[in-house]
Parts: sequence; C-alpha cells; structure tokens
Amino acid sequence: MRVLLVEDEKQLGIEIKDFLEREGYICNWSQNLKDASEKLAINPYDFVLLDLGLPDGNGLDLINEINAYQEDVSIIILTARSEVNDKIEGLQQGADDYLSKPFSLLELKARMQAIARRKGGWNNNLLEIGAFQMDLNSKLVSHGKVEIPLTNKEFRLLHFLMINKNRVLNRFQLAEHLWGDHLDDDHQSNYIDVHIKNIRKKMGALADVDWLETVRGLGYKIRK
Amino acid sequence: MRISKKLLLYNLLSKGLILLVFLTAAPFLLKYFAFNNTDNQLFEKKNEVLGIISERGMDNFITDDDPSIGFGSYNILKEEYILLELWQYDNQVDTIFVEDRILEKEKVTYRVYSHTFKFDENTYILEIGRSIETIKDIESILFNILIVTLIIFLVLTSFLDSLFTEKILRPFKRIITNKLSQIHEPQQFPYLPETTTTDEFKLLDESITEMMGRIQKSFNQEREFISHASHELKTPISILQTKVEALFSSEEVSDRQMEKLMDMQLTIQKMKKTVNALLLISKVNNTQFLKSDSFNVNKIIADLKEESIAYAEDKDIALIIDQNEDFVLSNSNLSLCNMMIQNALINALKYTTERGEIRLSGHFESGRYSVNVKDTGPGISDELLKQVKDGIVFLKDVEKDKSGFGLQIMYKIALYLGIEISIKSSSNGTNVSFLFPISEH
Repeated sequence: MRVLLVEDEKQLGIEIKDFLEREGYICNWSQNLKDASEKLAINPYDFVLLDLGLPDGNGLDLINEINAYQEDVSIIILTARSEVNDKIEGLQQGADDYLSKPFSLLELKARMQAIARRKGGWNNNLLEIGAFQMDLNSKLVSHGKVEIPLTNKEFRLLHFLMINKNRVLNRFQLAEHLWGDHLDDDHQSNYIDVHIKNIRKKMGALADVDWLETVRGLGYKIRK
Repeated sequence: MRISKKLLLYNLLSKGLILLVFLTAAPFLLKYFAFNNTDNQLFEKKNEVLGIISERGMDNFITDDDPSIGFGSYNILKEEYILLELWQYDNQVDTIFVEDRILEKEKVTYRVYSHTFKFDENTYILEIGRSIETIKDIESILFNILIVTLIIFLVLTSFLDSLFTEKILRPFKRIITNKLSQIHEPQQFPYLPETTTTDEFKLLDESITEMMGRIQKSFNQEREFISHASHELKTPISILQTKVEALFSSEEVSDRQMEKLMDMQLTIQKMKKTVNALLLISKVNNTQFLKSDSFNVNKIIADLKEESIAYAEDKDIALIIDQNEDFVLSNSNLSLCNMMIQNALINALKYTTERGEIRLSGHFESGRYSVNVKDTGPGISDELLKQVKDGIVFLKDVEKDKSGFGLQIMYKIALYLGIEISIKSSSNGTNVSFLFPISEH
C-alpha cells in the first residue's frame, strides 16, 4: 500500500515514515502543501496522512485536491491543534479519520487497518489465534462453534494485540488504544491487567492461551 | 419580583396613600366649603332682600299699624326661612351663626345670617337661615361624588400606568432576555442594537454590547492561545513518543535499556496526560465543545459497568448498578458527559478499599434525572472540594503523584453542560450526584 505522509515536523516525519516502511507500506513524505500537491498529481496513493498546520497553509485545503485527483484514497488527519472545528470540517470534507497528536504509531497502524477493512481493501476479516477464531465483522471470538463472551473492551484489546502480534505492547499503549488519553493519571493501565486476566480466564477454559504472553516489567504480546 | 410589577405596586400604594389622606380630610374640607358656600348664598340673599326693601319700601313686610309684628317666611320643608322685624337695641349686628329655631313647634337647626340695618329712621333686623340638614345633604352628595371619582381615577390611572410601564420597559426586558439571560456563551450574543427611545436603555444596551465585545475578544485570544499552546506542547511530545516507541520495538535493545525506555514512556505518558488535561480544562472554559449530541445516559452507565466490573471484582469491591427508566439527554456532548461520569467512577474505584462498595445509579428525582456514584472510600477532604468548586486548576495538598485534574475536569464539564453536581463526602465515603435538567431533554 502506498502512503503519502504530509508532515512538516522533520523528526516526527522521520519516525512515522520509518515505522510505516517497517510495516510494509511504501511511504512518500512531503513537508509542505506544494510538494504534497505535486506528489498527488503524479502518484496514486491508498492513504494520505495529513498534518493541518503546514508552513505554506492549512492541510484542510489539500483535501479537495486529494479527492479530485484520487478517488479511492483514505485520508487520516494528524494534528496537534485542538480546534473542534478542524475535526468537523476535516471529516465533512471527506477525511476518514482524525488522530490527535501525540499518538502512538501502533494506534496509527490500527486506524489505517480499520479504514482499509471498512473500505473493503482488507479481505481477511477472520483471524486465527491459536485454536480460536476472531471475526472482525461480528466482533466475536469463538472456539469451534463455542462463542466466548468477551466484553467490547476485551475484544478491542485482543484485536489490538493481534494487529501487533510478536510486538510487546506496554500498558500505556494498550490503555491509550482503549480509552484515549484524557483520563486521570495511570489508573487505566491497571484495568489492562484485569482485562488480560479475564481474557485468559474466558478463553483458557476452552483451549490453551499460552500465545498471550506477559513480558515481565514491560507489557503483553501475542506470539505467532 | 419583576420591575413592572414593582412599579405598578408602588403606583397603587402611593396613590392609595394620597387618597387615604385626602379621604380622611375630605369631611372637614367639604364641611368648610359647604358652610362657606352657604354663607355666601345667605349674604347674597340678604343683599337681594335689602334691594327689594329699598325698591318697594318696608310696608310690604311690616305695616305701620303694628310695627312690632315682623315679617317671617319659610318654605314648606322648612329648609330656609326669612325673618324681618324692628330692632330695638342699640347695637348693630352682622353675623353668621348656627342656632335652633322653632317653626310650627318643630325645632330645626339653621345656619343663620343676622344683619341689622336702618330704614326710614328705624332699625330692623334681617335673619336669613338655611337648615343644617340641607347643608349636610349637600356635603354627603359631594362626598359620594368625590369617592366615586377618586376610585375611577385610581383604577384608570393604575391601568394606564401599567400599560405605560410595560411599554416603556419593553426594550429593557428585551435587553435582559436576549442579551443577558439567554446568553451562555459569548458567541451567542446578538450584536444588533436594541430599538428604544429611552436614553438610559440605549446606554445600557451599548455598554452590554461593548462589554460582550471585550469578552468575545478575550475568548478569541484565549482560543488562539490554546490552539498554539496545544501545537507547541504536543508536537515535541509526539516526537519523543514516536522515537521511544521505535526504540521499544527494536530487537537490539537490551533488557536494561528496555527498562529505561519504559521509564521514559511513563514520563511521556504523564506529560501527555497533564497537557491534555490542561488543554481540556481550557477548552471547556472556552466553550470549544459542541453540544449537539442526543444520547441515553443509561447507556453510559451500562458501558461503564461493563468495563469496570472486572476491575472491581479483582479489587474485591462490590460494584452495584441501579438503573431505572431510560433518560435521553439532548443538545449535549456525549464524550464529555461520558468522561464526567467515568471520572467519578474511576475515583471511586481508585480509593475504595477491599470489601468496599460502589453504587452507580440513575433515576428520576424531583423533576430531574440523577446519576449517583456512591462509594465507601475514605472520602475527599473539604479543603480539596473547596478548591475544586473555586475553579483552582492546580490543587494544593493533593496526594503525591496525583494531579487532581480528574475532579477538576468532572466539575468543569458539569458546569459547561449545565448539569448540577453535588459532592458529599465524609470519612465513610463519597457520594457524587449529577443532576440532569429534564427541560433540556
């Protein structure tokens, strides 16, 4: 998948580009509107990751141009600004999602996958975890024909770990994925331990769940 | 009490008081005027009689045959009488007095004008009297006319006063309603001048508009500041977070380095939460959130239950949910409302100890919908609550490593969404109540 990253902050741009390339995306990077506009005119993209505060103008101005050149592109707005109107205007103009800085790169990846799945570009809606099946459409986890009664949060937690399998995710990253980052102090990360415990309890009653590992002092990961 | 009602009441009372004074003095005044008028009439009649005598001579009244027999005349109801006779004394009389007279064996009290005069070298006395009863009748008629006139005057003037007051105060009421009481946020203020011919109201309207302009400007400046501060603070945190995440996922990092990276992530997380909390409080104060959602408050409670029940069980806390009828809140903000109730529940879960109890309930109460989060934790100190209510962002004496932003955010959101919040706390626990207005539902 081809991604156009429009981000004027050099250090941030380097990290996002590296991350996306490690994840298998082909990533072009523009640091201003003019360069982004030129790249859009030449290359087809699946995703545009668009910062709003750019040195030569507002990123929102680029949305109409993106839609004019490329029909199937998905746009995710990345911004550190806090104006509620930016979000509404961006989504009204055709952006698919809105991610406030500072965000976790893993969260960005999850959002991109969700959009790809929603738009039909992702065929694999049934994931296998050990002896279990995870249906992303019906949001159900089952073992054979037995459905496992996971709560919404437990399902999302398991799915986030699945998206990033073989990668250790710490409690902060997991908590941020579930609740965002407005909650008081680090209390939410304690919830993560309880949710993991419950997932193990519910799924472990039917089959082995040793693929869900606790990495001592760091977090959790799903092993291949 | 409304100003128009106050003015009407004042008018009625002041006029009523004046009328009361007037009515108390009226009998005396009427008596004075009635007697004065009678005296004038008696004086005029005396002149008429003297004119007739001078024209026709005394013979028509007193004959020379027996001058000691005077002339007397009265009407059939004995309301008036005239007496003319020789005056045999040396003194001259010209006086008015009240005295009884016996006419046909009937005693009648008269106002009498007595006057002596010389005619053909004789002195005569002329008495003209009018009965006191007649004068009192006139007084009574005048008194009744006066009362009726005054009552009609009072009613009519009060009615006209009320109409005039309503009319003259109409622009004032429009200013109060359209430019003050209905304005919850500076953006809602209508800058069109109010149509009025009253100078004071014009001045008031201009002053309010000018004041609101200054507030609006200050709001806009604050909004701009928040936007810039948000960008300037969040961008470096973003860079740090992505760099640490990149290292964290690297396979070449040793365990010791990984521990250090976790510490860095914890610090970044704290920075993020502090910046986000401060920006959230500023944005709520600056009314930067829309109120366009309609949602069921019970659904929020149900979702919170789902995500918290396992944690409560793990801590051996009884989390009891009491939900009554559904309550749909309109023109509000779902994510803020969710955050507000969630903060109360998180605080309860955080501070309630093992084998404690948390009760989360939603029910209708005294015409409002009440969501209560009641716990058996150690309670919140009065000093801390006072600081929160006073809008102090950086709370003093909070526990080490705790910011107290959760309480502050909860309080500010409630204020912004027009939800009454009540926090009752003692050493036996805390009860946070959110009272939702049903009228906005």
